[in-house]
Amino acid sequence: MTKGVLGNDPFQRGAAPRTGEVKDDAAHPKAAKKSAAAKGAKSAGKAKSARGGASKSGAQAKAPKGGKAAEAKQGPATPKTPAAKVHKFEARSHERGGARHEEDAHASGQHPAGEDVSPLREPSVPGPAAGPRASRPQVLADEVGGSRPQERTVDRALTEAIASEAAETAAKTAVDELFEGRTGPDRDIERVLATELVAEVAESAVRQVLDLGNGDAGEREVATAIATQVAEATAGVAVDEVMDRNAASPEERTLASAEDRPGEARGLDEDEGADEVWTADAWRRDPKDAPPPEELEEVWTADAWRRDPEGMAAPEEPDEDDRVTGVERVEEDGVHISVSIIEGAAPTDVEPEVELPDESHDELPPSRRPLSLVSDPGEAPLPDEAERDARGFGRPEEPAAPSGFAGRAAGMFSLAKEIAGQALASEGLGRAVGAMHGLMEAMRTSLGTGGGSRLDDYGKDAGLVESLQPVLDFLYEQYWRVSVEGVDQVPRGASILVANHSGALPYDGLVMAQALLRERPDLLEARWLVEDQVFHAPMLGTLFNRLGAVRASPENALRLLDEHRPLVVFPEGYQGASKPFAERYRLKRFGRGGFVKLALRTGAPIVPVAIVGAEETSPLLGRIPGGFLGFPSLPLTAPGPLPAKWTIRFGEPLTMEGLAPEAADDLGEVQRLTERTRESIQRMLQALLRERRSVFTG
Amino acid sequence: MRIAVTGASGDYGRLLLPRLEADPGVESILVLDTKEPPPISKVEFHRVDLTRYDAEAELTDALTERPVDALFHLAFLFGPILNGPLAHELEVIGTMNVLTAVGRARLPRLVVPSLTVTYGARGNNPALLREGSPLFGCPHSRFVNDKVEVEGQVRAFRERNPDTRTLVLRFAPLLGPSLDNPATRLLSHAVVPTLLGFDPLWQAIHEEDAGRALHLALRAEAAGEFNIVGRGVLPLSGLIRQAGAQPLPLPGPLFRGALRALGVVGAGTLPVALLDYMHYSWVADGERAESALGFVPLHHVRDAASALRRSQS
Repeated sequence: MTKGVLGNDPFQRGAAPRTGEVKDDAAHPKAAKKSAAAKGAKSAGKAKSARGGASKSGAQAKAPKGGKAAEAKQGPATPKTPAAKVHKFEARSHERGGARHEEDAHASGQHPAGEDVSPLREPSVPGPAAGPRASRPQVLADEVGGSRPQERTVDRALTEAIASEAAETAAKTAVDELFEGRTGPDRDIERVLATELVAEVAESAVRQVLDLGNGDAGEREVATAIATQVAEATAGVAVDEVMDRNAASPEERTLASAEDRPGEARGLDEDEGADEVWTADAWRRDPKDAPPPEELEEVWTADAWRRDPEGMAAPEEPDEDDRVTGVERVEEDGVHISVSIIEGAAPTDVEPEVELPDESHDELPPSRRPLSLVSDPGEAPLPDEAERDARGFGRPEEPAAPSGFAGRAAGMFSLAKEIAGQALASEGLGRAVGAMHGLMEAMRTSLGTGGGSRLDDYGKDAGLVESLQPVLDFLYEQYWRVSVEGVDQVPRGASILVANHSGALPYDGLVMAQALLRERPDLLEARWLVEDQVFHAPMLGTLFNRLGAVRASPENALRLLDEHRPLVVFPEGYQGASKPFAERYRLKRFGRGGFVKLALRTGAPIVPVAIVGAEETSPLLGRIPGGFLGFPSLPLTAPGPLPAKWTIRFGEPLTMEGLAPEAADDLGEVQRLTERTRESIQRMLQALLRERRSVFTG
Repeated sequence: MRIAVTGASGDYGRLLLPRLEADPGVESILVLDTKEPPPISKVEFHRVDLTRYDAEAELTDALTERPVDALFHLAFLFGPILNGPLAHELEVIGTMNVLTAVGRARLPRLVVPSLTVTYGARGNNPALLREGSPLFGCPHSRFVNDKVEVEGQVRAFRERNPDTRTLVLRFAPLLGPSLDNPATRLLSHAVVPTLLGFDPLWQAIHEEDAGRALHLALRAEAAGEFNIVGRGVLPLSGLIRQAGAQPLPLPGPLFRGALRALGVVGAGTLPVALLDYMHYSWVADGERAESALGFVPLHHVRDAASALRRSQS
């Protein structure tokens, strides 16, 4: 259980069982037969291979039945824990003819995620010449070890003993059979080796099965059956392996083994179904001359290969990786099956599916072939591996999720939630999140998708301002550290606040509105007028409008003043915002005195305001012709607002007392008042600049 | 009180007739139309085709034969149609015929609906357009410009015939389950293209409010133009969302090109001119309707849009 849980965790998420795959499995048996037949045919020419092939195919044919039986027995005994179930299924799949591949998936799942996967992806050895497939001993060890921790009952020991005995006998017979036709210097030794190998594989398979199971009587039978079958199935491979080993250079093998180990599939036990595969393997191996391009099957063989040798510390062959892929794929199928089994309560249901597994093999090869890096057609394409692995692993685990893993995951999740909650509860983070939200809203608004349903007639979106308030607060208090002087001089009711426009991007209106909002909550919400060039600028204009900017026009100004709002105007207009940095804080012409006419007509006092800091916040470094966007020019400025310190000084209001509204038509009077305001602002600006010691610290 | 109605089978007519029917002060409704109106007890039907050369004489005859207290001239289109000349005949020439007949029959009251789109969506529109604002129309839209022309005729008529109380109701885009106009069509798509970077303020009026405003015009003491708008404004994207659709901002040139192409092919369900209205705001001030006409909208723009959504689902 631990094994499954620990190893497979990372993959678990993707592991939703898919119904579609079950079908694939169903197709298997036929495929298996076919492949076996094909192998047999090919091998006909060579004595060795022919034999191996024949025997194997025969074994195969048997295997499915045995597997079935085993399954049927096992089914009822399925342990409650999900992990255990999974294992069992694997075991079952082994038993099945076609299911060997599972082991790989399974194996990798058991390992810490990164380990298995990565090595598999890269072909350690590109060479097709690598001929013989190495076996991976370590794999077996791992698997077996993994299950060890679970309690063993005497029963189990017994079972094992019986099974191993059966395995040994089976192995002997099988190997002997195989060796009969062969001649060689070390035949006896080889035979012994091969037998041992086979027996070990079989035993490990048995062990695996036992690990998963409860150890009841039914299992014993199953174990024995498995042992025999595995032994039979493995025999051919083992023999080949032994032979190959002789042929292969020792260094290569060692290297390969070293490399392969981590990445290897360790699903020795499962090999049950591997007969055909192995055959194929055997095939490939011996006659380097004519490796029948059997593709998948070979691949699987390779797999099987790797697996069986587990027991033996013997040197491995290189370049297993490719094959591994193939194997894994197969596993998927096998795994798949297992999943379905789990889901279906009745084991009987499962059986039919079990038999089928081989078909998938057939289907797989064509797609794989083009991908493989190695000449050997049977090898699997590496690139796909990651995916497949993930899938393969994930699937078997899936059923396990509910109890062990799911519980843990739920625990982790709740912990994470708690942490997140705590973090959010902390004021700073909360504000940061709020600010992010606000900025997102602002972005959407400026793109024109923001929606918003709390707009006033001028287009200010109260909802947006609210969600952006954290950002505004930050800018106002910490970033620009706006200091406001003389704000008390702003009279109640309608008033016209005339300020210098500055900076390439007109933040000043927004800051003014904020300053009034904070310092003079008794006043109505102030609005600022922006020139058409800004108001109708795409995105910027939309955003400003939602934040409270109003297009500068006499109608709007009159309406706002009628509402007794303070009205912020920048008589310099677009020119003010587009003066080069060298001319900063030098006031431009004050338009045509529109604000004075407004003041004269409405009687609203004019309050001169000097803003220092805005120029340095977004210095105008240059201009880009922007006619295509409807701008006279695009300002080239700092990518974001710079943290200059802002100071806003309110001057003494110019009241319109004693001046008749008709004076608005007196251009001389208007000019005089305009000039007075301008001078007042310029004076304040100079004073502020003199007082300022540093742009950024004030 | 006897009332004559042209275009009773149009959207305005369908909004108004039930109200007149339910109004105990209304004795009879003389329907001057090409199509038979729904069978309502008060209705008298007189077939008149406003686009015909003899429409004016027919109208005059009908109105002198059966004198009425008010004429609702509702025979207008609600959106551009492919047959531009026919639209022009109906709207401009038809209105001319009606005005002439009304002048001859010396009717005491004339009510003509119009649309706020006649103000035009322009960059230098003030935040709120009052009734006195010039009607700039839309340079690309024959439909809107026809409306502007109609308004000009009506204004001229009003000046020449001070005895006839002439009311022009400028409706914001009408939204409602039973209506089919460019705005409802626009909002009925699941994804509504908008202009990237622009999100003008839209107004709308719920069909019930529109019907009520028309009915109010029957007895109002005021004359002149009235902006009939729903409560509040929404950005276009907000309106789209309220209607259950998603705004899809497209760069202007791309959008324009696509609309043009569609329009040329004849497959366009959206008039190209709508683009202007997706670019700039044209928010009309409903203050005068409230003070002079006594019309207070009950529905917020939001409700009007969501009514549309309900009707779709």
